[in-house]
Amino acid sequence: MKNLYIFIALLFIPWSFALAKYDEFEDGDDIMEYDDNDFAEFEDVSEDMVTESPQRIITTEDDEEEATVELEGQDENQEDFDDADAQEGDTESEPYDDEEFEGYEEKPDASHSKNKDPITIVNVPAHLQNSWESYYMEILMVTGLLAYIMNYIIGKNKNNRLAHAWFNTHRELLESNFALVGDDGTNKEATSTGKLNQENEHIYNLWCSGRVCCEGMLIQLKFLKRQDLLNVLARMMRPASDQVQIKVTMNDEDMDTYVFAVGTRKALVRLQKEMQDLSEFCSDKPKSGAKYGLPDSLAILSEMGEVTEGMMDAKMIHFLTHYADKIESVQFSDQFSGPKLMQEEGQLTKLPETKKTLLFTFNVPGSGNTSPKDMESLLPLMSMVIYCIDKAKKFRLNREGKQKADKNRARVEENFLKLTHVQRQEAAQSRREEKKRAEKERIMNEEDPEKQRRLEEAALRREQKKLEKKQMKMKQIKVKAM
Amino acid sequence: RGPGPSDGATGRYKPPATETNPALEDPTPDYMNLLGMVFSMCGLMLKLKWCAWIAVYCSFISFANSRSSEDTKQMMSSFMLSISAVVMSYLQNPQPMSPPW
Repeated sequence: MKNLYIFIALLFIPWSFALAKYDEFEDGDDIMEYDDNDFAEFEDVSEDMVTESPQRIITTEDDEEEATVELEGQDENQEDFDDADAQEGDTESEPYDDEEFEGYEEKPDASHSKNKDPITIVNVPAHLQNSWESYYMEILMVTGLLAYIMNYIIGKNKNNRLAHAWFNTHRELLESNFALVGDDGTNKEATSTGKLNQENEHIYNLWCSGRVCCEGMLIQLKFLKRQDLLNVLARMMRPASDQVQIKVTMNDEDMDTYVFAVGTRKALVRLQKEMQDLSEFCSDKPKSGAKYGLPDSLAILSEMGEVTEGMMDAKMIHFLTHYADKIESVQFSDQFSGPKLMQEEGQLTKLPETKKTLLFTFNVPGSGNTSPKDMESLLPLMSMVIYCIDKAKKFRLNREGKQKADKNRARVEENFLKLTHVQRQEAAQSRREEKKRAEKERIMNEEDPEKQRRLEEAALRREQKKLEKKQMKMKQIKVKAM
Repeated sequence: RGPGPSDGATGRYKPPATETNPALEDPTPDYMNLLGMVFSMCGLMLKLKWCAWIAVYCSFISFANSRSSEDTKQMMSSFMLSISAVVMSYLQNPQPMSPPW
């Protein structure tokens, strides 16, 4: 490649350059001499010469031939000089004209740039620098993602272990009390799967059924979102704990009509606001349970005093006192319909469906840093649940209590009907109008003119009858009023 | 204690009310999904690298919080969109991201 380059350079160097060089030679005779010891000057010059020697030898031969043929031809001679100059650019610091370098700017520039132009160091753009350091933001991002994935795997596994530890601890008690333990609703027959139903990476369900007095029991293990790094970081600011929620659906005949709740004050205040039944039936603020020997942390919400009296028997108090730190809320309600629904105006015309339910919310000890062993401490609470189921079945209000309860329920229903009265009226009105419109349309669509006439007459008659009825009613009311 | 298992009628599993009322459930995965898509569109259109990276994070968070009953196709599409946003931003402009400070 180098040889080729030199050759091309030799071909394209303007001979005016050679002219300038030639001026230095005062005598034409010198040319002859120069031919003879062509490369005498080159003996001490740079190493590059050595590699070029084969090429030079060839050219010198040519030159010699040309020199002998044409002494005065400067074109040929210039090849000599070009060669010499090309090689000797570094060693000879001769003044030169810019014009001579019109087609050949590279090499002289390289050699003379040091003298002429100051070196400007170009800023190589970061992505061409080929160094990883400039990508530190990206590396940070990827590291963050990897950390998130690691946390996801670790959190998921921890929740899984906790859930199975809980289940293993409670399995025996559940299996001795329920015929069906574990059902995911997919099988045609009701067979025990004996497994937890995983809804989420942090929520596990278990459905138990087949016991006297209750339809079924749904246990939800609501763990903290350990698989989500954001949640983990948020929990560092605000500690929270895993929860076990148990919802027992009672048979209609197995529970009397009352609404009762006990739990931490904070939880009860929140429930009273959120829950439909508690807000309607338990109007008072949560009362302290100190009267019954409950610790200060627990409070009671009740429909009437008699219910509280009935509920707070010795065993209950024992349970509540001993496990107060784990109990968040306990709610017995025959009017349970879930949290208050955000209703749009005019939409609700019927009371929400209610079910006789016992609800328990327990906090897992450890406040987030739970280990599978902590699950054992929840076993007594499950015993409490079973006890409550039986208690709810046994507890019956006396006559007074029943009367009060019925009155309360009637009152609530009435209030509801009043509220929705307007909406129901509007609904009825619109239904009537719809009927009329449908009829009119039928009449219009009737092609047979006779039929049309008959239908119209029938409609007119009906209208007249209605008007007469209304008039009669008005008259009756007037008479009564008088 | 009652006679126990054999006497009671066995009811079937009914999913808890929150499943039929997804609005009451935690809305995080849906929000994060939407946010992820918005950020990845921003990253693609406005050629902002940080938008694309945030979109990737959003889709990861949405996946971590998702319910098992939820459609995986939705998750995958949001994830793919965010990855493509990142890749396109870097193809168009291979310079590293500059911190805002």
